[in-house]
Amino acid sequence: MPPIPPRLVMRGIRKTFGSTIALGRVDLEVLPGEVHALVGENGAGKSTLMKILSGAHLPDGGEMEVDGKPYRPHNPLDARAAGVGMIYQELSIAPHLTVEENIVLGMEPMKGLFVDRKAMRARTLEALAHFDHPDIRPETLAGNLSVSALQLVEIGRSLAMGCKLLVFDEPTSSLAQKDIERLFTLIDRLKAQGISIIYISHFLEEVKRLASRLTVLRDGSVIGTRDVSTVTPEEVVALMVGRDVKDLYPRTAHQPGEKLLEIRSLSGRKKPTEVNLDLHRGEVVGIAGLVGSGRTEFLRALFGLDPMSGGEALVRGKNGAANPRMRWQEGLGFLSENRKEEGLALNLSIADNITLTCLERFGKAGTLSPRKQNAATAVWIERLGIKCQDPSQSVGALSGGNQQKTAFARLLEHDVDVLLLDEPTRGIDIAAKARIYEAINEVVTDSIRPRAVIIISSYLPELFGVCDRIAVMSQGKLTRAVPVEKLTPHDVMLVATGKAADLP
Amino acid sequence: MTALRLKSALTLLGPFIALLVVYGIFGMMNSKMFTEDVMLNILTQTVIVGTAAIGMTLIIIAGGIDLSVGSIIALCGVVAATLVTWHLSAPVIFIATIAFGALCGLINGGLTVGLRLLPFIITLGTMQVFRGAGKVATNGSPVNLPFDVTAYKPWMGGAGIPLGVWLMIILVVLFGLLLRYTRFGRHIFAVGSNENTATLCGVNVGKVKLLVYTISGALAGLAGIMIMSKSSQGDPTTAMGMELDIIAAVVIGGASLSGGEGTVLGAVIGALLMTTIRTGCVLNGIPTPWTEVISGAIIVIAVIIDRLRHRKA
Amino acid sequence: MKYIPILAIFASAFLTGCNKSQKSGQLSIAVIPKGTTHIYWKSVEAGAKKAAAELGVNLTFIGPPREDDRSQQIDLVTNQALQNDAIVLAPLDAVALRDSVKGVTDKGKPVVIIDSSLADSAGFIASYVATDNREGGRIAARHLSEILAGKGKIAVLRYMQGSASTEQREEGFLEEIKKSPGIEVVSSEQFAGATASQAQDVATNLLTRLASGDGLSIDGLFCSNQTSTYGMLQALRGKNLAGTTKFIGFDCDATFIDALKKGEMHGSILQDPVNMGYLGVKTAVAKLKGEKVEAVIDTGATLITPDNLNEPKVADLIKSQLP
Repeated sequence: MPPIPPRLVMRGIRKTFGSTIALGRVDLEVLPGEVHALVGENGAGKSTLMKILSGAHLPDGGEMEVDGKPYRPHNPLDARAAGVGMIYQELSIAPHLTVEENIVLGMEPMKGLFVDRKAMRARTLEALAHFDHPDIRPETLAGNLSVSALQLVEIGRSLAMGCKLLVFDEPTSSLAQKDIERLFTLIDRLKAQGISIIYISHFLEEVKRLASRLTVLRDGSVIGTRDVSTVTPEEVVALMVGRDVKDLYPRTAHQPGEKLLEIRSLSGRKKPTEVNLDLHRGEVVGIAGLVGSGRTEFLRALFGLDPMSGGEALVRGKNGAANPRMRWQEGLGFLSENRKEEGLALNLSIADNITLTCLERFGKAGTLSPRKQNAATAVWIERLGIKCQDPSQSVGALSGGNQQKTAFARLLEHDVDVLLLDEPTRGIDIAAKARIYEAINEVVTDSIRPRAVIIISSYLPELFGVCDRIAVMSQGKLTRAVPVEKLTPHDVMLVATGKAADLP
Repeated sequence: MTALRLKSALTLLGPFIALLVVYGIFGMMNSKMFTEDVMLNILTQTVIVGTAAIGMTLIIIAGGIDLSVGSIIALCGVVAATLVTWHLSAPVIFIATIAFGALCGLINGGLTVGLRLLPFIITLGTMQVFRGAGKVATNGSPVNLPFDVTAYKPWMGGAGIPLGVWLMIILVVLFGLLLRYTRFGRHIFAVGSNENTATLCGVNVGKVKLLVYTISGALAGLAGIMIMSKSSQGDPTTAMGMELDIIAAVVIGGASLSGGEGTVLGAVIGALLMTTIRTGCVLNGIPTPWTEVISGAIIVIAVIIDRLRHRKA
Repeated sequence: MKYIPILAIFASAFLTGCNKSQKSGQLSIAVIPKGTTHIYWKSVEAGAKKAAAELGVNLTFIGPPREDDRSQQIDLVTNQALQNDAIVLAPLDAVALRDSVKGVTDKGKPVVIIDSSLADSAGFIASYVATDNREGGRIAARHLSEILAGKGKIAVLRYMQGSASTEQREEGFLEEIKKSPGIEVVSSEQFAGATASQAQDVATNLLTRLASGDGLSIDGLFCSNQTSTYGMLQALRGKNLAGTTKFIGFDCDATFIDALKKGEMHGSILQDPVNMGYLGVKTAVAKLKGEKVEAVIDTGATLITPDNLNEPKVADLIKSQLP
């Protein structure tokens, strides 16, 4: 019996745009029934590779095979006909058509001049059988469905075409936790049916959950393919960024120093209702809890972005006015969870964004020296590895990870003593996360002036990796902060979901 | 990389190139365009819109808008003319009128910041209030300067380059530097680009807005003195609709109506472009309605270019 | 804030309503000018008030805030017709106002048109009381031709498109000037625009085009209303060309009198706005009382020159039009 050919083979794929080399040399092999993850920083060439696979771009060189047959699509319909379907981040569903019309869109079964509605229904039901979702019925208008249901319709469309290879481009970025779980179950089931999947994601944990192998792309080339079961996060990050990363969550030994922050019975307009917390130099305190529990509101009230309705927050023993200007002066800095709406002024330059809180350091008597601003910014571009042209480039042109590094650099440039970080690594690639963890470790272990950090995160491994102590916010109340050594993620979840009153 | 640099250069150069092209086309049709006389005319006729456009640029960069600027100019022209009839000295009249304009701007800013209302709505209202105030104060008729007063002629006419032109050039340099090389300038951009970020970074957003409207009002006051110098009268009905010319100049100059972008030099070039079209049309005997069509088309083209620039970014 | 004028209308409607109920039986007349700011309209108001006082009728004098807002004037006509017995109107546009005026007369309320004509309206309006604008233009042309001794180049700066009265003046002028074969019109395609400041810019550019050496290539100039004449005079003064060319304007202004005395202007055509307002109201009342009225009533156009400024009749006319 001849060996089963791989589902997809890509050999020596090259693509240049003008003088820019988008893909240098890419080799990739996906087996039948395999979930193959594709990871890489933004701009590594993932989307170009996928566009070639889907027929949106033609490669300059190299060859592809699907199930042992040469594959050279000229447009997405070619690709689908050959059994390759794409599920993009931006869904291509027509909201005014029904689910079944969407599923057969472009390939409608015909009976003479008319659409064969019976065949359409049959094909749709067959496709929908893959995922029994109560809301998705053939005659439902697509516009009435949720984003996650629409994604399923999109998947159904590819399945109805008989696709054997599905490409998912960051499918979880717009889904709620519950829907993510449902999607994962579906992917498992498709895998069991022998359908191959290329899964592009920033999230290593998703990759671990789904894929058997992963391929790392960097600067348009394949750096390596690894078995997911044996690879460590550190190794993946090292492959992605091209340098050695010893520990994703580096922790240099450190000792808590003087008390910087003392929060007594702080309450906000609605939430939080009761927060007590001490923070010392050289300490990272994590705030866990569900979204909406009052975590963000706590930091916002502390920083003066929302009104404080009770209690007090002493900075180095002094009770100052709670407004952002005062807080920066006291040496507090806040990183917003909402990068685009609040964190950054997108059409201003990187330099302006980083130095906005401390412009007075870059000129006398109200004047300002852009040269000095740029010089100071160049330091952070170098140290945090912000990928950009120069400090005067506008922040809006950067990728998410680099935008987040810029927002984080503002706190470092201001040289605050207390860093208040709200979801500092949400939605950014693992390499950028690693940089931010490194930077957090550096500031809290500074030999002369160790800083202190409060970090909010929904991702428990991150909190357990980065923090010295963790407190949990539940319905507006913050528990005491317990050293991580004495905690398990289970303890935290019990309190966060209200099943336990306090940490052990 | 180079493409991006080219793009940012185009933002600055775009209006300038447009000006040269339009000037060149009219010049080819009538070589008089290149005479000193015509160039002086164009510069002089740009002073009023140009001066006010500098202030409007600040407001638009800060994410606001001021529809009342034409009314402020007319009202300040009336104030200045009235003060001239009181035989006050020129410096006093300048200071008083500019202060009056600043007060009008402060009212706009105060209402916008204090009531947290859209400046579009507020200034739509004050546009009528200021216009009406001028008519009430003068009973609707222009205040003529006494015939023997000639002290204001050199500002908008007379031999050589009028003082008003120098003033506009000085203001462009001054406010260009202010926007780039001062903390306040950067704060204006920050407020317009993302007010939440500015708040988070400790920028006093309310103060910045208040100042910006006040400065713009002061510049409108100055423009009012210029319009009084030009026509030797304070006419409460003058500068009707001029706010749209001013806003158009700022937008042609590369500013974004959603805030965070714009240059004063660009705005004045935009104003020059519009004057050039008007002058060129008269010099070439092009009937007046066509002038309006051409000016309007240029504004639309400028907005389209602006949109394309943003789509690429 | 489009609503402010509307509120004002409601307020005035309310007030006039009260008035009426107090003095029932008294006639109410609304006079709607083109604008309220020019001294010219204040003279019309003075004449109208005089007639109203003599005849014992209620008078409302209300105009659109700006002189080129036709739609506001249309609204004014419609609203004022609801609360008055007759309308005296100076239409901003010969065509745009026609339908609303017709609407008023269809309801049996007479409308007297003053100052500018309304197109194709002889059938329904009560009377047209105005300066014979065409004749005004002719007078200007005859005077210019005379002081130029029948030869030379001249330019005409028009006022605004759609303004019937000024268009008639311009046409009358151009017709009459053709009778002097030695005179050539080198420009008549430019419009000055609504405000004096706009007029000044256009005039400056026009003068630049017509420049020749240190002076002008033209020998004469004509402007057809107050703002365009004012703008042209300022432009001439600004370029130090005042007095180098024969300049005939239209309407009256203290500045014009000063310019006439200094030799910077050589004539201006004066209408009689006081008389126009007076006759307008008087004709409307006559019509209401069922008397027969003339279809066209000329209120007269007078040429003033540096030489006749002191003649008593001219001096009186000037005085009636200056603040």
